[in-house]
Amino acid sequence: MQHRSYLTYTLVVLSLLAGLTACDPSDHPTVTPLKKVGFQNDVIKRTLGPNVVGLEMEFAFAMALPATEGKLTSAQVEASIGGASGTYLEHRSYYTNGSGNDIGVVVGSPSSSEGKITKVNFTADTSAATLRYYYKIPEGARGQSVSFTFTSTSSTGEVVTYNMGPYQIAKMDIVLDLDVKDGGAQYISIADMKVYTAAEAAQMPNKIDLVYLYRSIPNITFNHALVSPATDAQYRPGLTLPAGLTNSTKVRKEWGLRDFHLARLQYGIYIDDLDFEKLTISTAPNYAINLRAESGAWVETADGKYRAYIYMNSVNNTAKSAKISMKRYTL
Amino acid sequence: MKRYIKLFSIPLLYAVMLVSCKQDFPIDEDGLLITTRAECYVSNFELLGSDFQTVRTKNPVIDTTAQTIAVEVFFGTDLKNLYPQFSLVTDAKLDPKITGPVDFSDLVTPKTYTVISGNRKVRKPYTVTITVQQP
Repeated sequence: MQHRSYLTYTLVVLSLLAGLTACDPSDHPTVTPLKKVGFQNDVIKRTLGPNVVGLEMEFAFAMALPATEGKLTSAQVEASIGGASGTYLEHRSYYTNGSGNDIGVVVGSPSSSEGKITKVNFTADTSAATLRYYYKIPEGARGQSVSFTFTSTSSTGEVVTYNMGPYQIAKMDIVLDLDVKDGGAQYISIADMKVYTAAEAAQMPNKIDLVYLYRSIPNITFNHALVSPATDAQYRPGLTLPAGLTNSTKVRKEWGLRDFHLARLQYGIYIDDLDFEKLTISTAPNYAINLRAESGAWVETADGKYRAYIYMNSVNNTAKSAKISMKRYTL
Repeated sequence: MKRYIKLFSIPLLYAVMLVSCKQDFPIDEDGLLITTRAECYVSNFELLGSDFQTVRTKNPVIDTTAQTIAVEVFFGTDLKNLYPQFSLVTDAKLDPKITGPVDFSDLVTPKTYTVISGNRKVRKPYTVTITVQQP
């Protein structure tokens, strides 16, 4: 018994000692750099949300080397699928000033694109730069994935690379800021992603999926509406349809879905391909009335070929008009 | 002596644990507590559209004696996809449960929802009558 208590005592004292040792402030960890010292680079992707054809993907490409090891001579980005026209590598390096503004400093000649490669040659004597890369998503990349190789070269011929991706490119289409006006261009075609007048609509009756209306009717709230040509006459009062318009498009009202691409507001909400794939609006009516600004509607065409989300960017009661934007997915 | 204490204390502990696990409060088939409250009524009613915005044009008329709820909805409301929301008296529950959008498009035969009191002994069916605003 006596032996046991000694053992316990010793253990307690030992553990206390160990605790004291661990708390010793002189025991600093040694700092070891995570990357090699010398020529280095790093890339971040700045755009969020789905990658839609026609929109840009933005990257910030940083590179630096110790001044003793030379200077930067060139930077280039190779995309696995060549970007559409409008793809460029910024030839200015940005810093943020005291007021929070990004100030560009020219460090090279404007970029040139040859096929999949976009390149900037440095003209400034610099050993550190951050260049922005804007990749305009081409039609050829729809539904595919894209990867990027960022390469920078120093005056000693040393080359460092950084790989990004693969990034999936969405299947959907996007169209922004279509003007619709009651009595004017009010016939919406989801297939063409365009708005037509009555005369134009009469030429292509099968393609017209929705009609924009504005009505101010006493006792009810009608205002701005998207109705199918085939909807009940009470939901399209005073509208004389051009001959042959018979599509019955399903429409479901939505509120608070301010897609970042469509609305370009501060809300970080994105509609992706998956939302269209999982959309079930088989029981939805073929009209949506009283659509307000910043509201929207899910749409499925009568032939079941397209699903879309139509966003109301703004409405104007006096002019009986609205500005709409659309994302469309082909089934 | 110590060994005896150990021998007795362990079964005793088990016995205490068993007693403490005994159900003191009755619960119903939904796992909800059955209380002593006999009150049974709807205190408020809301009707939301597919965009989760209200479709009522004004406050609903709830008659707790006649057990009816009358709601007027906006012209053009999608009656096939509505989300009713019932506010009930404390401890009461609703039958059938609302699990998703409800089809109210049959205006001739209004839907009936039964309120069940906290003691689960009083059941009161409420009829929801919808009228659509007309120009």
